[in-house]
Amino acid sequence: MSTTLPVADAAQLRTQSAALMRRHLRGFVGMAALQAAAACAGLAGPFLLGRIIDGVVAGSPVSALDQAVAILVVAVVAQSVTVRYAQRASMVLGERVFAELREQFIETVTSLPLSTVEKAGTGDLVSRTTNDVDRVQHTIRFGIPRVLVAVSTIALTVVATVLVSWVTALALLTALPLLIGAVRWYLRRATPRYLEESAAWAAMNGTFTESVEGARTVEALALAARRRARGEADIDRIVEKESRTLTLRQVLFPAVDMAFGIPSVVVLLWGGWLASQGHVTIGAVTTVALYTVQLMGPVWELIFWVDEIQVATVSLARIFGVSDVAPDRTATDEEPQDEHMVARDVEYAYREGVPVLHGIDLDLAIGERLAIVGPSGAGKSTFGRMLAGVHPPTAGRVTVGGVPLVHLPLEDLRGHVALVTQEHHVFVGTVADNLRLARAQATEREMDEALLAVDALGWVRDLPEGLETGVGSGGHELTPAQAQQIALARLVLLDPHTLVLDEATSLIDPRQARDLESSLAGVLEGRTVVAIAHRLYTAHDADRVAVVDGGRITEIGSHHELVAAGGAYARLWHSWQSE
Amino acid sequence: MLELHRPFPDRAPTRGAGRYLGWVAARQPALLAACVGFGIVNALTQAIAPYILGRAIDDGLGHGFGPELWTWCGVLLGVWVIRAANGAISHRADVAAWLRACLGTVGLLDRTVTRSGESLRRTVPTGEVLATVASDAPRIAEVYAFAGRFVGSLVAYVVVAAILMSSSVPLGVAVLLGIPLVAGLLALVVRPLQKRQAEHREQNGRLTTLGSDTVAGLRVLRGIGGEDVFTARYAQQSQRVREAGVRVAGTQSILDSLQTLLPGLFLAGVIWYGARLAVAGEIQPGELVAFYGYAAYLTNPLSSATQGVSILTRARIAVARVQRVLVVTPRTSDEGTTDRPLPRRGDLVDPASGLAVAPGTFVALVSADPDASAEVATRLGRFDDSDPAPSPTLGGVRLREVPLSRVRERVVVSEATPTLFTGVLAEELDVRATGAPDLDRVAAALAVADAGDVLDSVPDGLAGRLEEKGRSLSGGQRQRVALARALLTEADVLVLVEPTSAVDAHTEERIAASLHQAREGRTTVVVTASPLVLDKADEVVLLDGPRVRARGTHHSLMHDAERAARGDLTGEPAAAAVAYRRIVNRSVDDSPAETPGNRDGATEPDPAMAGETR
Repeated sequence: MSTTLPVADAAQLRTQSAALMRRHLRGFVGMAALQAAAACAGLAGPFLLGRIIDGVVAGSPVSALDQAVAILVVAVVAQSVTVRYAQRASMVLGERVFAELREQFIETVTSLPLSTVEKAGTGDLVSRTTNDVDRVQHTIRFGIPRVLVAVSTIALTVVATVLVSWVTALALLTALPLLIGAVRWYLRRATPRYLEESAAWAAMNGTFTESVEGARTVEALALAARRRARGEADIDRIVEKESRTLTLRQVLFPAVDMAFGIPSVVVLLWGGWLASQGHVTIGAVTTVALYTVQLMGPVWELIFWVDEIQVATVSLARIFGVSDVAPDRTATDEEPQDEHMVARDVEYAYREGVPVLHGIDLDLAIGERLAIVGPSGAGKSTFGRMLAGVHPPTAGRVTVGGVPLVHLPLEDLRGHVALVTQEHHVFVGTVADNLRLARAQATEREMDEALLAVDALGWVRDLPEGLETGVGSGGHELTPAQAQQIALARLVLLDPHTLVLDEATSLIDPRQARDLESSLAGVLEGRTVVAIAHRLYTAHDADRVAVVDGGRITEIGSHHELVAAGGAYARLWHSWQSE
Repeated sequence: MLELHRPFPDRAPTRGAGRYLGWVAARQPALLAACVGFGIVNALTQAIAPYILGRAIDDGLGHGFGPELWTWCGVLLGVWVIRAANGAISHRADVAAWLRACLGTVGLLDRTVTRSGESLRRTVPTGEVLATVASDAPRIAEVYAFAGRFVGSLVAYVVVAAILMSSSVPLGVAVLLGIPLVAGLLALVVRPLQKRQAEHREQNGRLTTLGSDTVAGLRVLRGIGGEDVFTARYAQQSQRVREAGVRVAGTQSILDSLQTLLPGLFLAGVIWYGARLAVAGEIQPGELVAFYGYAAYLTNPLSSATQGVSILTRARIAVARVQRVLVVTPRTSDEGTTDRPLPRRGDLVDPASGLAVAPGTFVALVSADPDASAEVATRLGRFDDSDPAPSPTLGGVRLREVPLSRVRERVVVSEATPTLFTGVLAEELDVRATGAPDLDRVAAALAVADAGDVLDSVPDGLAGRLEEKGRSLSGGQRQRVALARALLTEADVLVLVEPTSAVDAHTEERIAASLHQAREGRTTVVVTASPLVLDKADEVVLLDGPRVRARGTHHSLMHDAERAARGDLTGEPAAAAVAYRRIVNRSVDDSPAETPGNRDGATEPDPAMAGETR
């Protein structure tokens, strides 16, 4: 049931990238100027060597040559100094731009509409946060500065060549047909093949991860041979994909080599002829020949990065795409009159024309306990999410004190009704960090009270650093039951008057579930509760039971009424009580 | 010779990084020799280019546009052609060396992991095991990919020094001494740089953890608020990463600057000295150009040398991590087993608990302590040969006496939280199929597990793909798919641990009914406390601690409990029946006592009966 999150199209990608660039315009201009200066200083070597050669041929005094060498030393020192600042400025700018990009991304992600988060699942978002951000990071931090360096070096070298001797420099043009042809051929094929290649590696990593994490299942079902065959198939796929990209490079590499080999030779031949005619000096030919070879480095760098940037663009589109999700609620300034929750004619369809809920009416008395039972797929959880204001219903409305839930600002909504699901998650940080999510200003005492209410104060105090103990990935490991207790303590701090429980403990190991019984009792105290339940004793003890089947409430009433009525609920109850 | 993959044999050295690296090299001596050969040719074609350019200037340009120039231009073109052709083939050799070492190591790791099962998870943290494939294997492989360039550079360095020596002894000496000196100076900066890079990586790792953690918990976060707290925390760490990055930039730019300055000054020195020789007529102008070319080229061996050292250092650390995994041995082995056949039918007996299951019956195992019953299930599956408890027997044969593969064929234990694997749904269900899975059988098993709805959740149904760990399915769906998979093994003995713990009562009732029928004639042991399943069992066995306390049918035990409550039954049978009833029905009986205030009827105290969400 996961739907894919949007991916930015080319136009959005351009607009957003341009906006990002504009915000750092001064940085970019400064960096480009410094890099150009460094590239300029780097041109001195071949130029001065040419002068020295001419000097030697012309029989200049040693002092003149020394002067040229002195200029070279100055140029080298100047280049080193500008390189230092240019590189530093580039990397600092890369860090700044990338920091801004990722912070913006996380901000967008954490404000995604509730319904989108519920529907999309976390897999896609996690991969955008880790893989895609990582892939873009390399390009922004190193790629863009390197591209600027390469481009300015190439441009300045060409200009220098033309200045030294434009006629000799004409020989450089012989590089273009092969270079342009080969690079275009390569770039057109590279991106999809490299993406396939990295997908093959990711698949192998995924298979391996599953084999490790599912070691117990592999053992129990004797799947070792199967898993091994899968691993080998993944390796074969990697070899196939690697071979495809290798083929590309095996064409590109010699072609680019020859694209430089040809002009190197042509410069000498053409320059030799020009020199023999007295049009140019030997020194000038030398300088141009050396410049030709010097061009090779930046051209290679440019090809490499254009390739990388193509791949990174795909990731960038996925990062920017998240900001395209439209909000699903519009807050108005209506104020709920009381805590009375009512659902009227609620309908919902995940896909258009395929409604899951068909006009549900429900009136919740304040302080009431309602159990919702029914077969899986009946729409119980969907209805629960409507009641909690997570999804706006497709038709009908859910109101609290007369105000539709989706008209409440999110902060207010949470004070009215909260949804507790089987999912629990311990965030990286301290226990206190985890609790303060619900109330940022909570004092230590309030937190202690919340923990006490869910019977968790004891073990939290026993942690190495109590409330300040680091938990979550890499920290102190909590049992699923403890994690759920923390989640319940958060609810106490959040203090909504209505709770929707959607199988809050169903994924917890039965061995640990007992600990949670009284914890829940502490949270439910004094609140209206809607419990989506499959355990019939839950229904047995509730004030009312609603049986949901096929997207409708088919029966509603107290346990005893329903048993007496002899409907579906009664049948199930009897079979459960089959002693 | 240049094929990209050749699996390694098992038995790689598990001790000593050097021994492992040597062993990998010994698996592909011809390829590595080729890499080195191509690397030398490649380095020489580059090193010789300045010489040819110099000769072309002196002999060619100096003597006008004539045959000498053409000859040298021809030579130069020839060298370029050799360089281009050799470059293409040497790149292939390098990639082959890298892939073979990387994938060979990955293959070794994969075989170890699939063989060692649980014991690996107990000795090496999962994250580290995963990192061996994701980053250690590629790092080890770099050694072989880089070998050609490294050796080639060294050879070229010696050759260039020799050429210079023949033109001018002082220049030759300057190169021989100057290059290592520059390398040494650069190494001084490399160390603090690596430290700062490590710090940057660490901070960045924390940031990534924070980001993926936030996103993984996003549903929770969005449900209760706290987004601002989180974005602020993320932004704070993001700025820390940026600052660490700026510190790296400071050192890195100094290194970049030195990499320009030191070779640049060296170059200027060579030109200064060479120019004097040229003016004195001791060398030709072209030779001076060649000197310049050599000096410029020599930065190559320089960076190769520093890079080689850091690649080797990283590889040794990576090998140590890989070896930690390779050394792990499974907790079960076929040592000391006999070729005795394991009977298809026969009593299944666990001497440690006193459990005895008649062939072809459907038995439920109930315990107040779910750990105790899970332990019995584990023993029946023979997962740990070092377990001091006596081995269970099947038809009188001790499971530990028989080769493991035979035990697995006969006895299948499906635990409470089995893993689902990525792949085509039908294939992932029918794991014992030798060819294409029989779709009718698969559909039948899905029907027994009441998992038909899964076909709607997976696009393309049985032919569709199950995502990683069955992520696209709900908790209850995953459990029912795993049940169908266990049923499809058609094992003579099937042990199911809490197979319906995440399934709602409606569904559980249907599963319980069809499960018994589907297993007709074969032995089935179910660990459960659900009355809906217990009701369908041929026999119910109550465990008290590690031992069997009572046996009967669900009906008879519940009946006894009622009689005991009325005082019609006394003694141990009464006590056992009451205990049984308390476990099975405890919540209805106990709820007023267990949930204070009696307002808490809507609590959900027993997840063993829990259901699933959409």
